[in-house]
Amino acid sequence: MSALITGRSLGLLLCLECRATVRAGTTAHSRCPRCHARLHERKPHSLIVTTALVICAAILYVPANVLPVMDTRTFIDDEYDTIMSGVLVLLHSGSWPIALLVFVASIVVPLLKILALAVLLYSAWRRSPRHRLERSGLFRLVEFIGRWSMLDVYAISLLAALVQVQSFASIIVGWGAWAFGAVVVLTMFAARTFDERLLWDTPPND
Amino acid sequence: MSPLIVCPACDLVHRNAAPPARGGTCCARCRAPLQRTEGSSVDTAIALAVCALVLLLLSNAYPLVEMQVNGTSRDTTLIGAALGLYAQHFHSLAALVLLTTVVAPLLQIAALLYVLIPVRRRRRAPGQEAVFRILVQVRPWTFMEVFMLGVLAALVRLSNFAHIVTGVSLWSCLLLMFCLSALSSSTSPEQIWHWIERSRE
Repeated sequence: MSALITGRSLGLLLCLECRATVRAGTTAHSRCPRCHARLHERKPHSLIVTTALVICAAILYVPANVLPVMDTRTFIDDEYDTIMSGVLVLLHSGSWPIALLVFVASIVVPLLKILALAVLLYSAWRRSPRHRLERSGLFRLVEFIGRWSMLDVYAISLLAALVQVQSFASIIVGWGAWAFGAVVVLTMFAARTFDERLLWDTPPND
Repeated sequence: MSPLIVCPACDLVHRNAAPPARGGTCCARCRAPLQRTEGSSVDTAIALAVCALVLLLLSNAYPLVEMQVNGTSRDTTLIGAALGLYAQHFHSLAALVLLTTVVAPLLQIAALLYVLIPVRRRRRAPGQEAVFRILVQVRPWTFMEVFMLGVLAALVRLSNFAHIVTGVSLWSCLLLMFCLSALSSSTSPEQIWHWIERSRE
């Protein structure tokens, strides 16, 4: 393939908010003439910001899985649950579809997201020209599945709001849930700051 | 209409042709969706937004679920989930839950109505550019469908030791989820600006 015409080669900027195409240098302060959003040829400092966010998310993924997400107190005992033990409780109570759903959303999806973003970042830093179509698809998958890891945070917050029966039982939210929410927010921001066009900027070497 | 389309995912330039009657087009290089065939009108979008607003108000006014155990009962609303976290001093997590279940849907609906109602009367809403940008920024933070499955997971856990009564809000949340996804897919950024530009002619 040769002579692919890109927006960069024609001096065209794309507004990522309203999708207007703007000729570079025609507007003052590089703002979109249609929706007034800031225009950049590529998202500024995309790789370094995304890398920082992914590292933070990877660090917080550990307490999110190790620390208890909730603490069920009754007058006989005090039971701490991590995400994984919550999944096992669901599995033993016979509702395996829900157990599978929570397992995938809370354990598989965040891990997959962090790993996928790390792979994408590594190849973007190296400006690797290989498997670009697959990597582009991987990025779209990361964007799509991102929000699902919030599932268990919602479940815990509802349980905590409902189970406050005086002196009978109460559910206390644990710091694992906080770390979990933080992982979701950090990875969502990481997917937003990553500029997928960087995957395509190097010419294919054939 | 601009003569060229730039792919937002790989920067490849395409000639802007009319999209096919059904479906849409995708980028020739990276397969990212490029154009979608837009069939909806401003009226449909406004109707969906008003419907979503009513459902959102219902969801917050009535209890989501009620739990009955040992003769006592306790219920919670949509906002109750966030307030429960706040009461346990998880303020930032409470803010995140409130943002993704109440504030983001509300802002999204309000911003759309603010921009689209004047468009229908061939007028221009003051500051529509800023409101449009708020809409685009806030839209990815609406997690209604994730919340609904979270409710399901919580109810399955509770059903082992308590009797669960579903509230009006649970059903309105479910409808709100469908309504919001129909609203998002019928009001893409390109579509909104297409309506605004046509109303100026």
